[in-house]
Amino acid sequence: MNIIEVKNLSKTFKIKEKEKGIKGSIKSIVKPRYKTIKAVNDISFSVEKGEMLAFIGPNGAGKSTTIKMLTGILYPTSGEIMVNGINPAKQRKKLAYKIGTVFGQKEQLWTHLTPYDNFKFFGAIYDIQNNEIEDRIEELSKTFELESFINTPVRNLSLGQRIRCEMVAALIHKPEILFLDEPTIGLDPVVKKNIRKLIRKMNKELGTTIFLTSHDVGDIEKLCKRVIIVNKGKIIMDDTIKNLKSNKPLEDIITEIYQEATI
Amino acid sequence: MLMEVRNQIKVIFLSLKYNIMREMTNKITFLSNILFMILNNSSFIIQWVVLFSLKQEIGGYTMKEIILLWGIASGTFGLSKIVFSRAFELSELIMEGKLDTFLVQPKNVFLSAITSETKISAIGDLIYGYICLFVYGVTVKNFVLFTIFLIAGGIITAAFASIVNCASFWIVKGDFFADALSNIMIDFATYPGNIFKEGVKILFYTVIPVGLSNYLPVETIINFNLVNFVWIIGFTGIIVVVAFWVFYKGLKRYSSSNLMNSRI
Repeated sequence: MNIIEVKNLSKTFKIKEKEKGIKGSIKSIVKPRYKTIKAVNDISFSVEKGEMLAFIGPNGAGKSTTIKMLTGILYPTSGEIMVNGINPAKQRKKLAYKIGTVFGQKEQLWTHLTPYDNFKFFGAIYDIQNNEIEDRIEELSKTFELESFINTPVRNLSLGQRIRCEMVAALIHKPEILFLDEPTIGLDPVVKKNIRKLIRKMNKELGTTIFLTSHDVGDIEKLCKRVIIVNKGKIIMDDTIKNLKSNKPLEDIITEIYQEATI
Repeated sequence: MLMEVRNQIKVIFLSLKYNIMREMTNKITFLSNILFMILNNSSFIIQWVVLFSLKQEIGGYTMKEIILLWGIASGTFGLSKIVFSRAFELSELIMEGKLDTFLVQPKNVFLSAITSETKISAIGDLIYGYICLFVYGVTVKNFVLFTIFLIAGGIITAAFASIVNCASFWIVKGDFFADALSNIMIDFATYPGNIFKEGVKILFYTVIPVGLSNYLPVETIINFNLVNFVWIIGFTGIIVVVAFWVFYKGLKRYSSSNLMNSRI
């Protein structure tokens, strides 16, 4: 059963263009010129329930824009999206109860609060009853091994500890799909390994569908069975990791695909 | 629907509680912020004392009414900055893609965004507002009306700030435009409405609604008039609807960003 269905999805942005120097600045006020950029260009794909999918591509390929449309952050210019049977552009709030998001570059936690207070706050956001939230915090803090720092303000935590807390915050309402945008960015190899182990555990035990974007080949190789590669807003490959692998390391194969697409 | 509203209010109060808790971690800064704001506001009364030593009435107001006007101005501004502080920074949230956090939550994006921060010095503004009421002369009727008008004025001020800040959905650097208009609203709040000519008055009762958040409430406390009361409450409802409409219209143009940031 497909949990994500995307058909002919496109997103364009209108960007103001300015010629160089002060003359260009004045000209852009008097007679502004715009260009249209197709960040996502007519893509279609589907993801099965319980699948772990890597959605990758070079910088500016349209990965984050796609994730943002799937999670209801951005409105698509055209095309159709159904996530767990919900249209993100029309039923954003309903969708929010079903999905979790971790953006490695954007923190959702309040840094001055402890992880525990943060989780309580997120519990209220997702309308979880007080007794239920206590049980959920206990369960997740055991799984993600947060017990030793659950009462330390987030600002005093290491990056690895923070990411683990971000993941718990994203899982507090038992989402069916977890969108991970560069979840291991800036982490050391040991923490990365630990995070990957936890993602696998979550997928196996809870059946959570994982939609992952990452530049880290290790994340892709260790977690996902299928990979979609995008470049310049278009899907250039949708295949299994097994098929993609030859006698070369996966990193080299992906680099070659990126380079070919750029040419 | 009722449940949804109740849960949204719960999150707003929780957010307010956590924001105040954050500021209270440093007791001295917390208290001095409030105290200095009260002192800062008090200093403005001196200029009015000087003016009234030269003239008996200004715009039909004596020193007593000016104190009430300051009470309403300071209180409405304080309340709007305590509860809806980020309405004044909505431009930044839009331009820097900071609405993402609120968009993935099952709550009203607009309310969650504008209530996500609290300006602690604004507690000083609110306290100063009530001090002014006590100096003016407090009765049960005055106290109730004053409180209702602070809530209405605070909502009008925040809704207006939200509307002008939403300009950033359509124009680059919309924050300059928003700051200029928000400042006009705040700067003119402490002058008697009657000193302005008709054209300016029309502006202040429509486009920049300082007349409805400040001047008319003061008039209504001095001489109660049911029509004025209904008009203030009715306008509060209208501007809230407009603020929601403008925000959600603009949200369709929201382009997010990939800037690295954190929630502090």
